Amino acid sequence: MKYELVAGFETHVELSTETKIFCSCTTAFGGDPNTHCCPVCIGLPGTLPKLNEKVVEYAIMAGLATNCEIAGIAKMDRKNYCYPDLPKAYQISQYDKPLCQHGYIRLSNGRKIRILRIHIEEDAGKLIHNHGDTYVDYNRGGVPLIEIVTEPDFRSIDEAKEYVERLQQTMRWIGISDCRMQEGSMRCDVNISVRPEGSEKLGTRTEIKNMNSITNIAKAMEYEYERQCELIESGGAVVQETLRYDDATGTTSSMRSKEDAHDYRYFREPDLVTIAVPRERVNEIEARLPELPGQKFTRYTQTFEIPEKDAAQLTKYRSIAEYFDQAIEGLKSPKTASNFIIGQIFRRLETEADKEAFDVRTTAKQLNEMCRLLEAGKLKNNLAKKTLEQMLDTGKPVTEFISESDMAGLDENTLTEYCQNAINAMPAAVADYKGGKEKALMAILGNVMKQSRGRADAAAVTAKLKELIG
Amino acid sequence: MVTREDIENIALLSKLFVDEKDLDSLTEEMQKIVSFADTINNAEVRTGEFDNINNLSNVFRADEVLPSLPSAEILKNAPEQAEDHFLVRKRA
Repeated sequence: MKYELVAGFETHVELSTETKIFCSCTTAFGGDPNTHCCPVCIGLPGTLPKLNEKVVEYAIMAGLATNCEIAGIAKMDRKNYCYPDLPKAYQISQYDKPLCQHGYIRLSNGRKIRILRIHIEEDAGKLIHNHGDTYVDYNRGGVPLIEIVTEPDFRSIDEAKEYVERLQQTMRWIGISDCRMQEGSMRCDVNISVRPEGSEKLGTRTEIKNMNSITNIAKAMEYEYERQCELIESGGAVVQETLRYDDATGTTSSMRSKEDAHDYRYFREPDLVTIAVPRERVNEIEARLPELPGQKFTRYTQTFEIPEKDAAQLTKYRSIAEYFDQAIEGLKSPKTASNFIIGQIFRRLETEADKEAFDVRTTAKQLNEMCRLLEAGKLKNNLAKKTLEQMLDTGKPVTEFISESDMAGLDENTLTEYCQNAINAMPAAVADYKGGKEKALMAILGNVMKQSRGRADAAAVTAKLKELIG
Repeated sequence: MVTREDIENIALLSKLFVDEKDLDSLTEEMQKIVSFADTINNAEVRTGEFDNINNLSNVFRADEVLPSLPSAEILKNAPEQAEDHFLVRKRA
């Protein structure tokens, strides 16, 4: 029997605020153990949390960027569990009144992944297990997180990969998180089940935790899908449980500890007041949001007729898209600038990090100037590539590399002269062309180009040659 | 209705050891506490409203870093510590 995969995601994203969610300790990554702590974030009795306004703002931004409804009223709740990573024995989170609900992310295959909710909460401390003992560092405790929960809308591993990439791209784009999976600033848990193809009923799901890269998410899902299919095929049943993915063996195994007793006894956090978000506040935040990658993609492909593959590359990082937007100002054909960026400039940016940083010696304005000269016919196509290489090497403007006479192009008389010279020098080619060999004209064109040192416009030369040969 | 199983579960969640022989009396006691708390249900409440007792909202803090405490201060009351970490021993 064939089985369909059904999966949903819970993603924790660490917000890049300066301070923790409920106190003024720094959120800086690393640091000596227990040096980014205060009585509030280590949960000493008598302390009171106070909500960081930026956390609310960032969560609303995340909600707007994923088409969510923003709640007018939200509140914080206590999620109780006893484990050393939580000094208070509860995590302050949101239960039934999250900040954002009912959003979606659209994938390239057209399917919508519905987002059930986005809520804010505090991160837990870091535990280091050593010979059965546990060492606790609370530097990360209290760092603000948003948790983004989807509906079980994934039907393939490719969809899951694309979703995580999109989410990462979007959150970085709006500047609320660096979403580094290796450093743990973005963490995904996947709920996964299988069901016979065609069936509407959801199967029993397992939850996989502890995956720190998109590659591992894909591998873990693949493994778990196969495991569940085999289990059912052999007459067994999937048990609802939490699994840990082991990168070294590529397998999943049952996770015990705090997941044993799933009874969080949520109740309202009495130390924090209601969060009220008036519509005007949402509008104000929305107005400040940059144009999102999806919106740019649509504009590039539909208005500028840039191929989807190219548009995807231009919108991968905000730095590239903003460079492109500046480079095409006033151009008739933005595709020209896109080709230069994806062709020549990208060749100089080896890693993804290089592309994201987009540290290029030629400014967008300089590229724009070059493209304008090209469109005006003052810079010839065949010279453009070499000129851009020189610009990229030196950071100097286009005018450094082409002379006044280059920009002036060839006057009509010189053009005629060069063409006549070529015709006189190549009687055989002329005869071939007259005899119907269209290609022979290319050889004569080459001669003209050589005489003009590349300054001649190929189209003008071709027309002139045809005219002269008759 | 509070059951013996509820008491066992609460004990588990709170990491408390409860002797088998105390289960019945604890169940009875807990039932009394819950019944007392049920009095609240008789209070008149306007439905559809939701706020905290002070009717306050939006008490925020600006996102500005203040110095944290030295780790020695943070660890001062820890029952056990090692290498600037809180130390949690494995239960025997």
